[in-house]
Amino acid sequence: MEAGRRAVTDLIRLFANIPFGVSLLATWAFLTLIGVVIEQGKDAAFYAGAYAPPIARLIVRLDLDNIYHSPAYIGVLGLILCSMTAATFTKVIPRRIPRLNPVKIDAIPLHAQVRVAGDPASVRERIAAFFAERGWQVRKREFGGTEWTFADKSNWARRGVLVAHVGFVVIAIGTTIYWAKGYSGQFSVLSGQTATIPENGVRVDLHRFAYRIDPVRTKSGVVYQPIDYVSNATVTDRQGTPHEAVIRVNQPYDADGTLIYQASYGFAIDFQLTKDGRTIPVADHPLKEGEGFLIDGTSRAIQYTRFVGTIDRVTGQPGADPRPNDPGVVVQAFDGDRPSGSALMALGEPLDLGAGYKLTASRYILYSGFQYRYDPGMVVVGLGAFVLLAGLCISFYFLPARLFVLVRPSDGAGSTVGIAATTVKGYDVFEDRFREIVEALRRSEATADVHEAAPVPALGSAL
Amino acid sequence: MDPTRQLIDQILLVVGIAAYVTGALVLFAHFLLRTPVLRAIGIPLAVVGCVAQFAELGARWWMTGVWPLTNLYGSLSLFSAVAVAIFLLFALRYDLAFVGGPVLALAAIALGYATTWNEGYMPAVPALQSYWIKIHVPIVISAYASFMVAFCVSVIYLFKAWAESRYRARGATVRGAAAGAGGPSLDVAMHAYAATAPGITRTDTPAIADAAAAGDATAQWLAGLPSLARLDVLQYRIIAVGLPLLSLGIITGAMWAKEAWGAYWQWDPKETAALLSWIVYAAYMHLHTRPQLRGTFTALVSVFGFITIMFCYLGVNIWISGLHSYKM
Ligand code: HEM
Repeated sequence: MEAGRRAVTDLIRLFANIPFGVSLLATWAFLTLIGVVIEQGKDAAFYAGAYAPPIARLIVRLDLDNIYHSPAYIGVLGLILCSMTAATFTKVIPRRIPRLNPVKIDAIPLHAQVRVAGDPASVRERIAAFFAERGWQVRKREFGGTEWTFADKSNWARRGVLVAHVGFVVIAIGTTIYWAKGYSGQFSVLSGQTATIPENGVRVDLHRFAYRIDPVRTKSGVVYQPIDYVSNATVTDRQGTPHEAVIRVNQPYDADGTLIYQASYGFAIDFQLTKDGRTIPVADHPLKEGEGFLIDGTSRAIQYTRFVGTIDRVTGQPGADPRPNDPGVVVQAFDGDRPSGSALMALGEPLDLGAGYKLTASRYILYSGFQYRYDPGMVVVGLGAFVLLAGLCISFYFLPARLFVLVRPSDGAGSTVGIAATTVKGYDVFEDRFREIVEALRRSEATADVHEAAPVPALGSAL
Repeated sequence: MDPTRQLIDQILLVVGIAAYVTGALVLFAHFLLRTPVLRAIGIPLAVVGCVAQFAELGARWWMTGVWPLTNLYGSLSLFSAVAVAIFLLFALRYDLAFVGGPVLALAAIALGYATTWNEGYMPAVPALQSYWIKIHVPIVISAYASFMVAFCVSVIYLFKAWAESRYRARGATVRGAAAGAGGPSLDVAMHAYAATAPGITRTDTPAIADAAAAGDATAQWLAGLPSLARLDVLQYRIIAVGLPLLSLGIITGAMWAKEAWGAYWQWDPKETAALLSWIVYAAYMHLHTRPQLRGTFTALVSVFGFITIMFCYLGVNIWISGLHSYKM
């Protein structure tokens, strides 16, 4: 029992340790870097092609191809939350919100002594007034018969860390809500056809997809710059009510809380295959880039790789203009799994595949690609993000400082004021300010006959 | 753009680069010679370059009607202009002129490199036709620029700390209670020194101070650099500008992504690389709360942080394609 409790205490101490927390952050950063460098969400064949075989195997086995949703990634985030919580309760709260206690003034690097006229009681009053006037929160306490004066600046800002940590937790909660209750996906629809979002039954009838690409003259020649993509559709919601929708990039359509976005577009192609003049059935729908079909009764397959807007009539190669002027398609032939050749074919012109086969790309139909997402945690994530930002600003731009003041009777006449300062960010950050405060105090007490002022050590430079 | 407008654009660009190059040289000279007149010349040159650059970006916007930050040219121009602006603000507030040389030199390099991406007038692709570009991009670029200035301070910190360790290794005697300065942290040693020797100008580089007192000219020059503690505080303050800006940049980016791509977070390489930098600087802030870790270690983290920023800013665009490459 005792041993168990000790183990828990040790664990909490470990988790609350800043170097431990930072090593978790470093692990998080490292995993994130892997995700940036290794393309995510591809199939095993992609990695086999892109990397040496042992590395490709490692990527797939260790989930590095889907790292952000891997147990390791989520586990590290969970550990960070635990570590942050442990630190918040065992370190941040006690350290950042400390009780008023006496200190050894001379042992604090930022300290000074000012000898002034007057008995300690009256000096204490004057000092309290001095700090209160300058916006310090002054409190007095007695410890063992000695009266101390404490002056705090931006005391409230000590809670900035708490705010930042809470913000992080709120973001984590919002993300979890999405994982638990949200959904997302993508679909594409040919002009004149319909698609249904499986999770909520919302139907999208695409009437027309249009794009605008303009030639722009630049220093290095003409470039074809996309200007607009727009889908005109009827979106039928869960209740069966149709709505006319114009969906553009940056202008999503909200269907009962599920947002539908313009994500991509492409050219679907109707292919026709003949053998010795006889039509052979191929796919039952126009093919999109990347799709293909098997040639019945053979081990051969044809994949539609890419749409070419303009075939240069002189060179017979793809031209720079992506708009369909003299369009064509690039097809890839396979024999079994092995690529057996590729060709660029103009639309409407048959391509001889050998053995009596002829392939024709007869026409293109524009299709529009959409993404959709239902995210009930979004508001929570947004709130968390702003709480986090507020926490950062409070933590970084408001410096909570505490002054400890002890007034004692001097050996001769008058009193000695001992003054020391601490901040939540060490001493160096407050040094200039402390020097100014001591100077101002010394000047304000000058009328009360200053005997001596011990200067604050300076960190000056010649620059 | 008509020729007159093009000429205005060119003139402002040339003025910007020229001011940065000469300003960098003058402020480097100030760094080496400590002559106040050089600072008095260098700072106005920085101001001229910065104003010319903002004017150039503004003029481009006004003349073409297209927001100028839709390509790497505009973005790198803003990066150098904001870096110089942040340097100037800090220089005025904290006497930071000594980092002007490297800051202006990096700004000139960024601007020079930017011109290689200058394709003239280009309308924005659909994904960039959003009011968010006017909010998100300047914020993110300002964050990068802050980290660049912090990086310059960190390099000077590391240089001085390295020089101190060289002098210490050479056997310069360490004075007084600073004898333990080779311990866990210069920061701790400095405080011990200050506590036992109040009233004298304290130094956190006692070996350099001793060698300077013994007449070593290089040490005298080094001793005139700001103390390590001061460099550390400056570096912290600049990162404290950059980190909230980067956070806000990521947040506004997420808001824009929600509108453009359907999800506020897509694990796109660019946004993920920004997250990587954010984590590094968050780690910096945590390390900086511990006196024993504050100093050389945090300066190294700041340098590493800037490397991740450069990776996020340029590396991802060049090596990795994703949604931020603006292909549809
Ligand atoms: C990895 C687990 C974490 C641990 C163990 C941890 C612990 C701590 C501790 C103990 C402090 C106060 C230090 C002091 O007062 O001396 C602190 C400060 C802070 N933490 Fe965390 N934290 C963690 C993660 C995070 C995260 C993910 C964020 C981002 C939201 C964050 C934001 C902050 C901020 C803004 C400060 C104030 C820093 C300053 O004032 O310079 N922390 N943290």
